[in-house]
Amino acid sequence: MRMRRPLRAALAALLAAGATAAAAPHVTPPVVLATDRDALESALEGGERLFVRELRLTDAERAQLEARWGWNAEEDYYRFYLSRDGAGELVAAAVFLTETTIHGPVRVLVAVRPDGSIRGARVVELTEEIYAWMQPVLDRDLTKDYVGYDARSEFQLTERLRRMSLPAMPEFYAKIVVRLIERGAALYDVAFQPTTGTG
Amino acid sequence: MFGITLSRLPWSAKVFCTLFLLGIGCGQLAALVQAATAVGLSPDAVRSSLTADRPMTGLADGERSAEREFRLEELEHEPEARIRTPLLIQTSHTHLLSMTLIAGLLGLIVLFASLREGTKVWILSLPFAGTITDIGGMWLTRFVWPPLSVLVVLGGGLFALGYLLIAGISLHQLWLRKERTP
Repeated sequence: MRMRRPLRAALAALLAAGATAAAAPHVTPPVVLATDRDALESALEGGERLFVRELRLTDAERAQLEARWGWNAEEDYYRFYLSRDGAGELVAAAVFLTETTIHGPVRVLVAVRPDGSIRGARVVELTEEIYAWMQPVLDRDLTKDYVGYDARSEFQLTERLRRMSLPAMPEFYAKIVVRLIERGAALYDVAFQPTTGTG
Repeated sequence: MFGITLSRLPWSAKVFCTLFLLGIGCGQLAALVQAATAVGLSPDAVRSSLTADRPMTGLADGERSAEREFRLEELEHEPEARIRTPLLIQTSHTHLLSMTLIAGLLGLIVLFASLREGTKVWILSLPFAGTITDIGGMWLTRFVWPPLSVLVVLGGGLFALGYLLIAGISLHQLWLRKERTP
């Protein structure tokens, strides 16, 4: 049996394309909902100058996070982005926090006011699988319910979210986002306000 | 193998093998578009996505905290997608399983090609070797030495070469080769 020339050419082209594709790096990329820059730009709005502060927690601070919030803070250091006004007073602080789940990581930017209350939060990165579950919750702006909460607040699903009667997986991931917002408040409380830390 | 060759397969088996090979080719084309848009195709792009985040303030080992002024523009040089360790773990397990399965099915087809045993061994080993080099390269890039990102591209290249050889030989023998009947 003989193949026609155009068919041969088409097959050859497809093979070449497949081979080229295979040479590409095999990385499953995360779903990036907002770049770090865009997320920070809105989270830190209102200040005149921006700063980055990186800090290592002491053993006592780690123990405090574990005891009070049930969070085993394992990172070598945490990075806060700060905005300050013209007089150098803090306007806002923001930190990216990640929770690793069986379906991949969820990354959230949490912004707090100088008094430690939540200024805003944004889910910036997750995986395709998680995004499919989270999209209805994200479309309803899950994180805005927690503006004004602080490290002493009870971070549960709010009444508005409970009324949505979320299926199991969206609810599971909504709770993870809420937990990350709580951790942002807790981390700020412990690292920036040691005298008022609630531990 | 066992007296069965690609050229003597029944029509249904020939169509099955052909569609499988073409399907894998299309899948890899889609993977190329995804990789190009999300990470980039060069070793440098892979390296910047995989390399661990380093302190922006120059925070030294043992130092409690450090602070400096910064501009949002500094973040423009960040990679399009940073592959952190949790995502690397997830990527590794899904790709090791799926690429090994594809390599196995490609190898299964080439087992029935009319080739010398030694040649078959080399050709069917390529996609397996590519998979290990590719995923292993990601871990080495992140935790051992960033320039080893070249292994990720090399691994992809080995997989590609294996696919190209297997698909080319198989399609030729499936549809063009006329086996002499003994």
